[in-house]
Amino acid sequence: MAALASAPLVAGGLVVAGRPLAAAQPSPQEDERILNFALGLEHLQAAFYEDAVSRGALGGELAEFARVVGEQERRHVEVLRRRLGGAAIAEPDFDFGDTTAGEEAFREAAVTLEDNTVAAYIGQGANLTVEGVAAVAPLVSVEARHAAWIRDITAVNPAPAAADSAKSAEDVRSALERAGLPPP
Amino acid sequence: MPTEHPTPIIAELDRDGAIEEALAAAGGTTRRGFLAAALAGAGALAGFPETADAARGPKRDTAILNYALVFEYLQAGFYTEAESIGTIRAMGAERETWARTLGAHERAHVTILKDVLGRKAVARPFFDYRGVTEDGDAFTRTAVAMEDLTVALLAGQAPRVSDRSLRAAFFSLLTVEARHAAWARRITGFRPVAAAFDEPKTLAAVDRVVRSTRFLVSRPSRESRRSPRFTG
Repeated sequence: MAALASAPLVAGGLVVAGRPLAAAQPSPQEDERILNFALGLEHLQAAFYEDAVSRGALGGELAEFARVVGEQERRHVEVLRRRLGGAAIAEPDFDFGDTTAGEEAFREAAVTLEDNTVAAYIGQGANLTVEGVAAVAPLVSVEARHAAWIRDITAVNPAPAAADSAKSAEDVRSALERAGLPPP
Repeated sequence: MPTEHPTPIIAELDRDGAIEEALAAAGGTTRRGFLAAALAGAGALAGFPETADAARGPKRDTAILNYALVFEYLQAGFYTEAESIGTIRAMGAERETWARTLGAHERAHVTILKDVLGRKAVARPFFDYRGVTEDGDAFTRTAVAMEDLTVALLAGQAPRVSDRSLRAAFFSLLTVEARHAAWARRITGFRPVAAAFDEPKTLAAVDRVVRSTRFLVSRPSRESRRSPRFTG
């Protein structure tokens, strides 16, 4: 059964689809590391959409998508930064190159960015403490909504699998790099 | 194109005309709540206490998974019935693809959760969708509300799960339900993402909404067994 091949759960084994995940025991220190990784991704997303909006290359629903999603990513940044307090990483400088210069390039980069953010959060789901999971759960589903929205605009299946896969931080970074996006 | 007009957040499920009409037409009430009906036979948690007194551990994980299973049964049955009586086929290519995909996913979620729970899985409850699966518009509006409700359910339960792999697995189902919800919203002209954060709901809050639909019944009703009204 095709749907089951991508299932996140295997009876007995209880493994998440995708690469094996880091086995570090959840701890406040581990949460800090993971939430800073998430903060980097949210910074990257917020800046990506702000850059696209300010360059003015987008029209119609794509422009609306960039504006709405950009504002939401900025809210995610604020929430994570508040939670991390003094441990929060500073906002990096990003160079988005051509990815925000035209509609087609933007669509492609946005799909990669949103899908990989979803995969990154799932990948860290087992490594976070209960408090960490509670903190990110309301963001995770919103990232998935962003992914579905931009995929639907791009005319690709908004929900390509019955269960979304996990990705390690390393795999997320290389996927972003391949898409011409700066590192989080 | 998604617009700024008000979005059907889950709290408004009761106010959805489609459901109200169907409920009014159906009349009567189920005597038992969603949880009670679904879980009585399983000896699961009574009332699903969500406070500190509910001990974290495998027992609570099983109860949470079983609640999620009942919810997936509810969704899978909804899409499957709409498909089998021809409602989905009559909705046009775009919505047909959407509804068929979601149905396949919800059925896969049922299989996944049953596999994980093994012999502890609750049996499939009885559903009566009160005619909502027979009308394309009512079906679609209710699907939007149900997908949003599933997001709130899974987001609320993920942190309550003790098993670490299960928590990650909950995320991978949560994101798919969120994709469904966004897709459903865009198809119906709503903005796919209503807010920067999806508000997690407690089981009690989810239960209240589900109970208000009266989709879950304690025994197969005559209504759900008769030939569907839809003949196209």
